[in-house]
Amino acid sequence: MAAPGFGQVRNLWLITRFELRRLFASPRGWFALSAFVIIWYGLLRYPIFEASAQLQQPEVQRILGGLFGMAGMYNLLNWPLPELTAYWVMCVALLPVCTLFFTADQTCSDRSRGTLRYLMLRTSRDSLFFGRFLGQMLIQTFLISLSVLATLAMAWWRLGNLTTGALEAALIMVINLIIIIAPITAIMAMCSALVKSSRMAISLAVVGSGLVLGLLGWAAWYLPVLRELLAYMPGAQIPQVLSQHGWSTLQFTGLPLAQTAVFLLIGRQIMQGKSL
Amino acid sequence: MSAFIQATNLRKSFGSKLVLDDINFELPAGEPIALIGPNGAGKTTLFSIMCGYLKPDTGDIKLLGHTPGSRALFGRVGALPQDALFDPNFSLLSQLSFFAQLQGMNKARADADAMRVLTLVDLADCAKQKATSLSHGMKKRLSIAQALLGEPELVLLDEPTAGLDPMNALQIRQLIAKMAEQATFVISSHNLFELEKLCGTILYLEHGKLVQQRTLNAKVHQGFLTLTLEQGDSAQVLKALALVSGVHKVDSQQKNEYLIWFDADLAPDTDLAVLQALRSQGLRYKSLQRGQSLEQQLFAVANG
Repeated sequence: MAAPGFGQVRNLWLITRFELRRLFASPRGWFALSAFVIIWYGLLRYPIFEASAQLQQPEVQRILGGLFGMAGMYNLLNWPLPELTAYWVMCVALLPVCTLFFTADQTCSDRSRGTLRYLMLRTSRDSLFFGRFLGQMLIQTFLISLSVLATLAMAWWRLGNLTTGALEAALIMVINLIIIIAPITAIMAMCSALVKSSRMAISLAVVGSGLVLGLLGWAAWYLPVLRELLAYMPGAQIPQVLSQHGWSTLQFTGLPLAQTAVFLLIGRQIMQGKSL
Repeated sequence: MSAFIQATNLRKSFGSKLVLDDINFELPAGEPIALIGPNGAGKTTLFSIMCGYLKPDTGDIKLLGHTPGSRALFGRVGALPQDALFDPNFSLLSQLSFFAQLQGMNKARADADAMRVLTLVDLADCAKQKATSLSHGMKKRLSIAQALLGEPELVLLDEPTAGLDPMNALQIRQLIAKMAEQATFVISSHNLFELEKLCGTILYLEHGKLVQQRTLNAKVHQGFLTLTLEQGDSAQVLKALALVSGVHKVDSQQKNEYLIWFDADLAPDTDLAVLQALRSQGLRYKSLQRGQSLEQQLFAVANG
């Protein structure tokens, strides 16, 4: 038998791999993958394709450049391909919400079904909690990579080739998107540890976020210095990320990574104290 | 050397309801141990604490010298938790193999061990199926199979035969009896008959308190006979049995069932004398058993 310390790291990886099997080797996973492909076909074929076609018009570029510039996002049109610009804006806007739904069931249905009781006889709550989180992150990384590859394929179909700059931009986008969804995935790991269904976890996350923002807004009315706390909320860095271009977008990774660590630590504490 | 299972001043409440009240016991390794008590006595709560699913409010419990849920117990303690189900998305084999890998086995050994336990519970043919396609009895057997993965030293079974038909229940009893040579079993059940057949020690819980801990050995059985008749007038039977030499007292607690107290030292052949008395009265019997049934023993304790 493996030594306890190493054994738990090994178990964490086993649990992560089992999450990947849930996507690639189960009917439920195949259904989710099919839905993903269909949705992304729709997004690529219509909004992204149409938007990228419009973005190639000098007049549209001039108008949007002015509009984005007013919002401090004048760098948005500097990405090497219009397809990537449209993809980038769409993903930054939609992905956090998709993550909220997609990663809601990290431990809750297993708790409700009692499957966690079988698992807890063999592995620590930490390895389960962090293993499931890591599994969700890897799955989303795979899906994001797939979608960006599809976007590149669409651009290649139009141009007949792809520049190194376009490939580099795609890589930067993937890294950024993973960092953007990390705190949301951690929030869902935390909510999932608290309740017994994914629906409850989503409700908890939405209501909880709304409540915190509402309370903060109300408190900031009386104590304006509290308004600065809004800059530390999940997703607060997104406007700044959108205002940058290329590798400079990664200068805002500190906040989401710190948020991820904090939410995971809180979630871990909940998981440790929760009865099964 | 510390006890196999040791509970000290264990206390657990849910809100204002005290579910376990100052539970203390020490249990040795070896013969199966029965955990019995009426509904709401705290059996499942005690089980959940032993499995590490719940934490006691105060007090301490140690399995094999370790706190429940600690890493030192992974793979050494197997359990059948009540109402726990397998993931409906994966086959029985893949889930059992995954559990075995979490216990430290490599993939090949885990697959082999998963098949071994499925064979033990007669589910090898269903290895590729999903848990949703199984009947209640098969699901129970599957749950027992996962508890036997690896080489657990201690196996905790919460209501292993609850809701099963007699044939399935018998199969599970036979399996436990067979496996009891390799591991110490703790079995919670309402079925006193099966516990009597399987267990060497009983823990009797009532209203969250440990009313008694006793060993079911030959000494306990001395001085008692349990007689079951096909039929007969109770007054006539009581009168006939009371006249048998060596009999102190006869009591009828259920229809056609009589408990006979006798002096085991002075009249060791009272069983033969009872049979002769029955024959002379023309009474036909179903069974004559040395000692009290577990039910009678517990009834006696519950009534002081």
